[in-house]
Amino acid sequence: MMSPGGVSPLDETREDLLREASIEAEASGREKAHDESGPMRSLLVFSLGSEGFAVDLAHVRMVLRPGRIEGVSGAAPEVIGLMNHQGEVLCVLDLRRILGTGKEKVSTSGMGEKFIVVIQHGGKEAGFLVDAVRDVTELPASSVHPVLDSVDPSRARLFEGTVTCGGQFVGLLSPSACMNP
Amino acid sequence: MRRAVRRPAVAVGVHEPVTTGSVDLLLVDDGTALRGYDCRDVVRVEEVPARAGSTGGYLLRLGRLGPSREVACREVIVSVALTAREIRPVPPALRDRMTGEMPWAVGITERGICLLY
Repeated sequence: MMSPGGVSPLDETREDLLREASIEAEASGREKAHDESGPMRSLLVFSLGSEGFAVDLAHVRMVLRPGRIEGVSGAAPEVIGLMNHQGEVLCVLDLRRILGTGKEKVSTSGMGEKFIVVIQHGGKEAGFLVDAVRDVTELPASSVHPVLDSVDPSRARLFEGTVTCGGQFVGLLSPSACMNP
Repeated sequence: MRRAVRRPAVAVGVHEPVTTGSVDLLLVDDGTALRGYDCRDVVRVEEVPARAGSTGGYLLRLGRLGPSREVACREVIVSVALTAREIRPVPPALRDRMTGEMPWAVGITERGICLLY
């Protein structure tokens, strides 16, 4: 049945619901802003094996699939090699080795499923090989907790802190520490 | 009255200005990576026969332009001419992680990326 104005009761109900929903959303946004006052940080969350890690998106230049990587003789063990990405020579590093979670040499054959996260910091740029890219998340800067005292100092220097993403603790990497040996 | 004519950015039939300079490199495989040596610096290339426990390869005697040195490699691949377009600086992230002889640049060839010494 249509009202004299040509609007059906169904449309009226929908409009009411949408109005209420927008009021609710606005209120929840205000609440959220109140809770998460302070600067926000955008993080790229990725995984190495079962462990999760994050890096500030401000330092991430791009995420690539590994192409042909050429070995380099006389380089540190964490150097996987050099990759030609659209005429740009990129140094690809094994993040697992940098973090000390793996000592085995990365085989270039099974690399197709992985990702290279290209990080820029202090005028330097390098690609870090990771197993999977999970998410891009925005968190209040205040939610970054300091690294636990129990973590080995040589490993702790590689992290800015820890954050909770998707119910899991992930280590927030320090781009500067990861970039410089 | 003469009218101003806007010149096209790239004139038809006229090549883009390019760097005409190039460097001839001897491309070798050291077993792990490709290396490029300035052909003008190569004094001699000697074949090293395989012996018990070693696979053999080649010995590059260098020093026509710079200090004398010898470099062992597994294979001498080809000589290539690289222009400035195919030469890039060594990525600082790699430079920081290298020991021993430091390459002066990185070359992009059809065979792959090579370090230039």
